[in-house]
Amino acid sequence: MQVERTEVEATIRGFLQRVKKPTDFSDDTLLHGDGLNLDSLETAELSAVLEDAYETDPFSAESVPPETIGGILDYYSALASGG
Amino acid sequence: MIELLRQGAAVHADLPAVASSGRSDTYGSLLARAESIAGALVAQRITRFGLVLEHPADVIAVLAGASLAGSEACQYPPVEDTEVIGSLADRLDHEVLITDRPGLGGAAGAVELDGLLRGATTAAPAEPPGERPLLVLTTGSTGLPKAARHDWRRVLRAASRIAPDEGRRWLLAYGLHQFAGLQILVHALASRGTLVAPDGLQPVHGLRAIRELGVTAVSATPTWWRFLLTELRSTGGEAPRIDQITLGGEAAPADLLEVLATTFPDARISHVYAATEVGSTGSARDGRAGLPLSVLERDDDADVAMRVVEGELWVRSRVGMLGYYGEPPVDPDAWRPTGDLVEIVGDRLVFRGRVSEIINVGGVKVAPLPIEEVVERVPGVEVARVFGRPNRMTGAIVAVEVVVAAGADPEAVIDAVREACQDLPAAARPRSVRAVEEIAVIGGKRNRKADP
Repeated sequence: MQVERTEVEATIRGFLQRVKKPTDFSDDTLLHGDGLNLDSLETAELSAVLEDAYETDPFSAESVPPETIGGILDYYSALASGG
Repeated sequence: MIELLRQGAAVHADLPAVASSGRSDTYGSLLARAESIAGALVAQRITRFGLVLEHPADVIAVLAGASLAGSEACQYPPVEDTEVIGSLADRLDHEVLITDRPGLGGAAGAVELDGLLRGATTAAPAEPPGERPLLVLTTGSTGLPKAARHDWRRVLRAASRIAPDEGRRWLLAYGLHQFAGLQILVHALASRGTLVAPDGLQPVHGLRAIRELGVTAVSATPTWWRFLLTELRSTGGEAPRIDQITLGGEAAPADLLEVLATTFPDARISHVYAATEVGSTGSARDGRAGLPLSVLERDDDADVAMRVVEGELWVRSRVGMLGYYGEPPVDPDAWRPTGDLVEIVGDRLVFRGRVSEIINVGGVKVAPLPIEEVVERVPGVEVARVFGRPNRMTGAIVAVEVVVAAGADPEAVIDAVREACQDLPAAARPRSVRAVEEIAVIGGKRNRKADP
């Protein structure tokens, strides 16, 4: 699948805005704890949002779920490059 | 069953018992047909059979004839797939299928209804036998349909309390393969009213029948009523006059009862609690959601008694099924769990959904029904379905699908749904909200099974 990194960033940003979390992030931003501090339900929701948008999401597909924004973006970049 | 036709025919043989577009069957004609069928079943020694018939009047004639002959009939659901029918026949050990469907004509054991009547026959028994078995399939909303063994004497127990009401036209909004459909049949015939058969079981068909065939009484599921209201709004025009509205098969939320009272101001509104397994347990006619707490205070003589055990309704019923096909008989004095979650709120017993519909969100058990009630109060939402969506992080999350009202902005409605659910406990808040064209329904009830 071909998904632009910026498109995935926009999807994530839309979700964060809806759950009232900071929308400024970098690849290194942590999803939990001192970063965005998403709880388990918010993480599950992000997983559903991404699955609805792209039919696949790293939280469901990967054996180790991503811990940073960059981890999510890298998942889709890898799919785009066939990796 | 035969008794109801005989009583009706004795008073007024030409009174329509079943009406549909293009066809009307009187009490007299149905009785004659039923008695012929009984004679044929007895002569041909058909003691149990599956039934695949199109028109309700034909189904009724066969059911009544079977009750007179003491033969166990089982009306199959209206499926087109002959393999499904064959599979059902295998599971229920039906060596005989009585049908009017051309595609089944060549199947082993298939007997065309007309062919049955042309075969060996004898005089119909004067009276029904002591045992009058009947097999009724459950909806199958929580798995494969089960077959509940009933007896017409139990199904007809309440008929003696139904007052004559000639001229009342009841819409048949359920199939006659459903226990609820049989309840309406019994009520309509016991009151010497007319059963109106629409062209299909969708609310759009029901509305057409209501308008064109003079229906004044309708019993249907809350989901069916919600779709009917949607149909009314989208087609415009005045709401037809209905005298009696009954809801059953699912919990009837307070907001729906309010909308029905406003839309149909002349209607008396009741909701019944009944199930294939326990029979009919009574009704509430006060226009309020849930049941009065007095249902928990019935004495040992009552046909049906109820109690709450760890949030689940249990019932002791002497008018329920004899047992599932292929399983030991049930003790009529034994208490059985219903699978319905309930809660005592003030002076009411309120329904919270089915045990099987509980969504386990990270170990927190969430009932979908209260969430649906919140969502359906959001302007722009016609109908909603709440269910568990599998999720690797928490096991499941609460998901909502909504049918958006015509003209409403789906994105705005979705935002409003999320906003309305903000006050719910965190685990109960929908984490997935989607606008859809239609809601998954089985047997007129919302299918809240988790999506795969």
